[in-house]
Amino acid sequence: MLHVENLTAAIGDKQILKGLNLDVGAGEVHAIMGPNGSGKSTFAHALAGRDGYEIGGTVTLDGVDLLDMTPEARAAAGIFMGFQYPVEIPGVNNMYFLRTALNSVRRARGETEIGARDFLAVAKEAMELVEMKQDFLDRAVNAGFSGGEKKRNEILQMAVMQPRLAVLDETDSGLDIDALRIIAGGVNALRGPERSMIVITHYQRLLDYITPDFVHVLVDGRIVQSGDRTLALHLEDHGYADFVDADLNDAPERPLAGAPSRR
Amino acid sequence: MSAAATTSPIRAVELIDGIVRPTKRDEAWRYAPHRELGELTFGPTGSVVVDLPADLVAQIPALDGPRIVIINGAVDRARSDLATPDGVYLRSLADATESQPDLVNHQGDRAGVVDAFTAYNLAYATDGAVIVVDVGVDVAAPIHVVDITAPGSVTNSSSSRVIIDVGAGSSVTVIESRLGVGTEFGGSNVRTTVALGDDATLEHVVLQDLPAQQVHLSRVEVAQGERSTLRTRSFNLGASYGRLAYHVELAGAGAHAELSGLFFGDGEQILDQQITVVHRAKDCTSRQLFRGVLDDASTGVFNGGIDVCPGADGTDAEQSNDNLLLSNRAEVNTQPRLEILADEVACKHGATVGQLDDTALYYLRSRGINAEEARRLLINGFADEVVDDVSIEAVRNWITRRLGHDHD
Repeated sequence: MLHVENLTAAIGDKQILKGLNLDVGAGEVHAIMGPNGSGKSTFAHALAGRDGYEIGGTVTLDGVDLLDMTPEARAAAGIFMGFQYPVEIPGVNNMYFLRTALNSVRRARGETEIGARDFLAVAKEAMELVEMKQDFLDRAVNAGFSGGEKKRNEILQMAVMQPRLAVLDETDSGLDIDALRIIAGGVNALRGPERSMIVITHYQRLLDYITPDFVHVLVDGRIVQSGDRTLALHLEDHGYADFVDADLNDAPERPLAGAPSRR
Repeated sequence: MSAAATTSPIRAVELIDGIVRPTKRDEAWRYAPHRELGELTFGPTGSVVVDLPADLVAQIPALDGPRIVIINGAVDRARSDLATPDGVYLRSLADATESQPDLVNHQGDRAGVVDAFTAYNLAYATDGAVIVVDVGVDVAAPIHVVDITAPGSVTNSSSSRVIIDVGAGSSVTVIESRLGVGTEFGGSNVRTTVALGDDATLEHVVLQDLPAQQVHLSRVEVAQGERSTLRTRSFNLGASYGRLAYHVELAGAGAHAELSGLFFGDGEQILDQQITVVHRAKDCTSRQLFRGVLDDASTGVFNGGIDVCPGADGTDAEQSNDNLLLSNRAEVNTQPRLEILADEVACKHGATVGQLDDTALYYLRSRGINAEEARRLLINGFADEVVDDVSIEAVRNWITRRLGHDHD
């Protein structure tokens, strides 16, 4: 479904992605793990279409080239990115934002727009999924939300948008165990044969809750190893040191040193 | 604060003699278009325009409640609805001056003449609206003052007065819509004087949306009694030069004034807010919260003053002005003026100037919202923080429609 071939991304002279290859089939969940600065977030933004990168290579979704598309066109094509740092938008009502987003992609796809009342039903169902109360919808988008609330709001948006491919960037960062459980529950409920996911994470902890079909290790802009979920367990025990050049050892900290052990 | 005699053309001549129009060297008029101001002509109240174009009629906010319509400085009785609940007096200034001069307390008539244009107003504004609320009355429906200028052949500018007197313990909302007809050069010059009795509450909204060829000059003066509450909300949207000046005197202990406003400009508009809040009594609080959105080659001005007089201990005053520049040709000039001559005073002020947040735009676009719509959402979100301060839903809806967004 998603085909990524020799993807490169640079900001100015700084090359971040150096030829990334990945294929994600329908219904599959792929985890991408890697040390800080390896290019994980850049990969997510390259898929979502953020400005400011020099991009090379090929990315197609269901055979359609994504790279020339605007972020909004990619959303209409079925890409959803869960942000590591969801943006606060004071003054824009969350409900209005969600309905505008959904209707924007529906319009782009030639579908009819959804009215306020029907939308409320859609939103209610999505809210239950992430255990959010009605007042979340009445507040401004992410404004004054706690870290956990922001991440739940991302999953709520995903539930409303029903994407073909969800790219979840460090969705677990900054979450306590209860919030993590809620978010993973939401993500798992949204898994399905027609929906693929790329779960980007630094820690293996999230993968205790969201079981990936494949795990990839991203180091220095390339996927250096792929495997099943046992690869994540190996990383937990050994860190990324095996994959990082000796002369880079001073760059990434030993990332798993403080991580909780797996139950 | 004496009940000065009313105006007449004879006194006008007396006043107008020797009036010097402001120049760029006057701080309060620094960003004004002086050539255009020099071309405004004022004179005795002109005739009522009988036919108002349909688009102007459609532009008038539709509010339930009493309404007084002033066209070229004269009250148009046919278009007004002066019926009011008990305890509320709503008349044209001309009638009130004639029949019940004691009701018309021209507070600070002379004191309020601070420049050429307030002098012109005192000279020529022989009509307008008088709103008096008795002691202890809660007025439910807002009182709507509609001021329309239609530049004519004799003079191109209109002058009018609004006098609001709120009795002790009473509360009322007054909406002033300032509009104009046609595409001719001209303007309006409105002066509002407000007296708030002890424990009285007033919400006062100015909606300035004159045509792009016209100039609007407004000065609102307020004297507040003990523990009274003032909430002004100003929307400076139209005109080539829109000037909204406020002078608030916190004269009674424990009074509270909240002034918020939005100026939203494009083209080559200059939108000028001149604010002064004077803390004369002890333990008063004041808040100034103004937001500017400036596109194209428009200019915004926020000149916000807080004067704390000797003895006004326990003053708590805050001021903020946040601005969004949508074009690299737009500019904003923001200046706080703080003069503090008392002890135990808490004064805060802050100003920001920024552009649309690229990350926020990207976030919205990643949700399928196109770039233009995302931009509009962010701009309106910024503006809505002020719009939300307006308590009357119909007024909020008028503003959001005017700003090109409708939430439903």
